[in-house]
Amino acid sequence: MIKHPSEADLALFAGGELSRWRRWRVERHAAECEDCRRDISDFEALRMESAALAVLPEVSWDRLAAEMKANIRVGLEAGECVDAPSAPRVVFSPRALAACVSLAALLVASVFLERPAPRVAQVETAEPVLETSGSGIQFREGDQGMVLLNRHAPEGPVNDLATGRAMQQSYVDSETGLVTINNVYVE
Amino acid sequence: MSELVPPPLEAAERQNRFVSENLRRIFIQIYRVVGNIADAQDLTQEVFIKALQRQDQLKDEQKAAHWLSKIATNTAIDFLRRHGRVAYCEVDFDTRSHEESPEDMVLRSEHRDYLEDGLRLLTARERAALVLRDVEGCSAEEVAQQMDCSKATVRSHIANARVKLRRYMAGRRR
Repeated sequence: MIKHPSEADLALFAGGELSRWRRWRVERHAAECEDCRRDISDFEALRMESAALAVLPEVSWDRLAAEMKANIRVGLEAGECVDAPSAPRVVFSPRALAACVSLAALLVASVFLERPAPRVAQVETAEPVLETSGSGIQFREGDQGMVLLNRHAPEGPVNDLATGRAMQQSYVDSETGLVTINNVYVE
Repeated sequence: MSELVPPPLEAAERQNRFVSENLRRIFIQIYRVVGNIADAQDLTQEVFIKALQRQDQLKDEQKAAHWLSKIATNTAIDFLRRHGRVAYCEVDFDTRSHEESPEDMVLRSEHRDYLEDGLRLLTARERAALVLRDVEGCSAEEVAQQMDCSKATVRSHIANARVKLRRYMAGRRR
């Protein structure tokens, strides 16, 4: 029994679109098959008929072309109005780009070098100390201190207040007779 | 530093020349796919506006013409897809030919309607492939390029289109 080529192959054969090998097979088959030869000639006639679509209706081309050109111009102008004006594009040359990169690197390095060194946190373990001297009451904590000066203060007695974190010193001015009492509290 | 941009006048002249040189060809190409003067006119305008908005593509004239055909084919296919079957309408312009008798005109018009009824049975891509190959006379390779698909796909579209049309014609003859 003869195996006929597919209808699609016959359609492509009529238009010359088949590959060489498939074309040869269809050709060989059609030489001996009346039905396939008729199908092929139908497809060839169809191609000729389709070509009739190439004939354009007789339009007034000049008028149509002028209308289309005008509409294209209007369309382009409308498009330009709608498009937001874009910022001018700046294109850097490689040299300018390298200079910018160098400058940025320099800035980063200078900021890094100028940055103050982080302080080492000091753990203060010393207790605040209150003590008297000939010139007044002195407060000291670690390496920091403060003195309440009394130039006329005697080397007299100093009272320790109840809390142990406070001191009192009193003296009498020999010239005026005024009594001065200094109380110093530590918090 | 930056690329030189042609002065506006030169660009406008180039645009006008580009439109004049390609307008008829693109209009006919679209008309054969959509089968309607009014739609072909709208789509042709759309194609040129799309193309001229990307002027960087127009530097090489040969490539630009090919690129334009591709846009035209795709625009026509998209149109057919959006609108389903093609709607044919009468042309308003004077279609009388001085060399044709009224009888010939009627026959030609009927034959055209008959063919166009058959084309309505095809998908948008089948129709475009058939028109480009059998009406425009493009090679299968050129059709593939214009339709952005492989040659095998184009062959498949063309074969389907011819088979459908043949069945349609056989049915009408009975």
